Amino acid sequence: MVKLTFVQADGTEHQVDATLGLSVMQVALSQGVPGISAECNGSAACATCHVYFDASVFDLLPAVQTHEDDMLDFAASDRNPGSRLSCQVQVTEAIAGTRIQLPDLQ
Amino acid sequence: MPKDVPHVSDISIAMLTDDPYPCFDRVRDRASAVWVDSARLNLVTRFDDIMEIERNHHIFASTNPQSLMNTVMGHSLMRKDDEAHQIERKAIEPSFRPGVVKQHFAPIFSVIVDELLDGIAAKGQADLFDAFAAPMASHALIELLGLDGVGWQDLARWSQALMDGVGNYGADPDIANRAKDASDAVDRVIDKALPRHLKSKNPTILSSMAHAPTLHGINQIRANVKVIIGGGLNEPRDAILTSLHGLLSHPDQLAAVRADPSLHSAVFEEAVRWVSPIGMYPRRVTCDTTLGETPLKEGDQLGICVGAANRDPSRFTRPNDFDIHRPRQQHLAFGAGPHFCAGTWVARQMVGEIAVPRLLRRLKGLRLDSQKTVQVRGWVFRGPTSLPVLWDA
Ligand code: HEM
Ligand code: FES
Repeated sequence: MVKLTFVQADGTEHQVDATLGLSVMQVALSQGVPGISAECNGSAACATCHVYFDASVFDLLPAVQTHEDDMLDFAASDRNPGSRLSCQVQVTEAIAGTRIQLPDLQ
Repeated sequence: MPKDVPHVSDISIAMLTDDPYPCFDRVRDRASAVWVDSARLNLVTRFDDIMEIERNHHIFASTNPQSLMNTVMGHSLMRKDDEAHQIERKAIEPSFRPGVVKQHFAPIFSVIVDELLDGIAAKGQADLFDAFAAPMASHALIELLGLDGVGWQDLARWSQALMDGVGNYGADPDIANRAKDASDAVDRVIDKALPRHLKSKNPTILSSMAHAPTLHGINQIRANVKVIIGGGLNEPRDAILTSLHGLLSHPDQLAAVRADPSLHSAVFEEAVRWVSPIGMYPRRVTCDTTLGETPLKEGDQLGICVGAANRDPSRFTRPNDFDIHRPRQQHLAFGAGPHFCAGTWVARQMVGEIAVPRLLRRLKGLRLDSQKTVQVRGWVFRGPTSLPVLWDA
């Protein structure tokens, strides 16, 4: 388990215990954190699980693959350098304690 | 104590085909899963139950040894799970990425639409099923797949024959033969086109399969092309017609999109929610379990009625109304989970960004032909079977 903090677009925060190996999307959904729709339940096909990582953490994550990269351009909220599809990012020790910003629209 | 799966014997296929929504309402009010005699399936109609199913694909599998689809089309990705599914899904992904669709296929779709509109613009009247939506969807699919020398009527005929074969529960030999002929014809056009795609990689689906990261056998390619021919033609066609039907029967909403074309994406999402082109798809229960209060047994066959979930009153206010101004909200027209429609972004652009907006721009004063009636039919697949309209030529 590691701690993650989800920050809503309006600033509200949810701190959760995240199980290693799950995707960040699965953690948010299973803990009832709002702000992630995940319409395709992790198939990397809907772009409704968009989140923003801080630049420092982004570099610790496995690289964005071509498919995710293409999909991120079509997310409902603007992409920024920290954008990821949360279903494609696994919980690891490397992201323990991270704050994850949610967009205002999915 | 959970109760048994309730049975319903007074819902006929004719009732479902004519207007499934009152039947869906009855089933939804009754239980999480209801055995409907005529459909020979346990129908699941509640939005939250379908989400539950899609999040637990080990209990609710797509793999189905009894599936007629396997007999008619071969064993495609739609009837596989886990890694076997993932390998084939990953293989086709490059052709379906939204950026690839926008840069490569959208300009091709625009040309198809404009040529069809050139052909009818002077006429002032048409049935948009034959004159526009069916040829549009068929030409587009030929381009997406990367087939050579295939006419749009051929592809439309094969698609229908294959789908009739998949629904041939009565084992009618004529239907089975037509499906077999269509399947053979598709094999021949694949054989013809494949060498070109093997030689040079390109954005089409056949090329993506030919250059799959995990090498595909010819039977995998054939089955997946057939499933895409069966499932990639009628749905965009029906979404085009339902979008237009919704707008033309709600002049205030038509005026709103004419004034603000950015509403076209909302038109598309609302159309596929309102009358979902795929109303039902199957799943198989892999172990004894319960859904809501309803106990299910290993081997039970479920009919996942996304057409019903998309009108679930616990999720949507005034669910039977076509209303493009609804708040943005998740619907299940593309399914959810591992089999979430691969063609979602193709359909959004083809229908929502290109076909419908261009048609409305071109055909001034477009309106329903009040002398004729709009026919809407189907429950497994549903859409207008005719859309007679007039415009100022
Ligand atoms: C408005 C149009 C469309 C709708 C409403 C739609 C709906 C759906 C639905 C509900 C499923 C899930 C079926 C299941 O889980 O068993 C699905 C799967 C699929 N769709 Fe679509 N579809 C549309 C357009 C297209 C197009 C244009 C294509 C291809 C050119 C396409 C290709 C596919 C494929 C390949 C799958 C199987 C994905 C898998 O098994 O992983 N669809 N579609
Ligand atoms: S859940 Fe759909 S892309 Fe991540």
